[in-house]
Amino acid sequence: MSKYELPNKFNYKDINILKQFITETGKIIPARVTGISASNQRKLTRHIKIARFLALIPYTDMHK
Amino acid sequence: MKKYEAVIILNPNLSSKADAFIKDFEKLLKNNTFDILKIEDVGRRQLSYSINNHNKGHYLLFNIVGDASKLLEIENKIKYDESIIRHLFISVKEHSGQDSQLLIDSKNKKNDIEESKDKNEVSKVEKDNSVKDVKPDKNVKEVSEPVAEDNVEVVEASKEQEENKED
Repeated sequence: MSKYELPNKFNYKDINILKQFITETGKIIPARVTGISASNQRKLTRHIKIARFLALIPYTDMHK
Repeated sequence: MKKYEAVIILNPNLSSKADAFIKDFEKLLKNNTFDILKIEDVGRRQLSYSINNHNKGHYLLFNIVGDASKLLEIENKIKYDESIIRHLFISVKEHSGQDSQLLIDSKNKKNDIEESKDKNEVSKVEKDNSVKDVKPDKNVKEVSEPVAEDNVEVVEASKEQEENKED
């Protein structure tokens, strides 16, 4: 089955799930690569961006 | 009335005063007709990137219910609070009611640290010994310590001198 662990609902506090969908450099991986639905990708993106703002996830690997 | 989640990152240097801050914040919320459903004190966490030259932050999560117009007033007051390095209010349809993953993770980490402490104790004892070597010096000056320790130090000192001579 899918190699990704999908929750019932994405949440910005659930970092381990969000981390599956970002690259090592911190970019959000496109849905065409991960294969998750467009609806899920939109929700995921929203929560990743919140988590970034709260410094739970890096924006990039170039942070000083 | 709307449901909100509030995330507040406190200055890590004031993390010991977190309880006082929570009380103050509760007052501020209640004065603005907000109800607090849940408070989670996640504690200090490593930040993914530095904010205002802080590498760590003390995370607090609140589940609150209140009027949107009053929220602006709260935010205006929080903006100028220097103990807060970042804050965020998010409106939600429903509060989950369960502990957030952040809190669970931090609890798990604490347990792990306690377990690893037991393992590290051996190595810590060795470190303590090295500290003790320094301490007797001060004690000798203030209180007359047992002579035996004094002798040991003298012997050690003389050994060092010999080594220096060899160099």
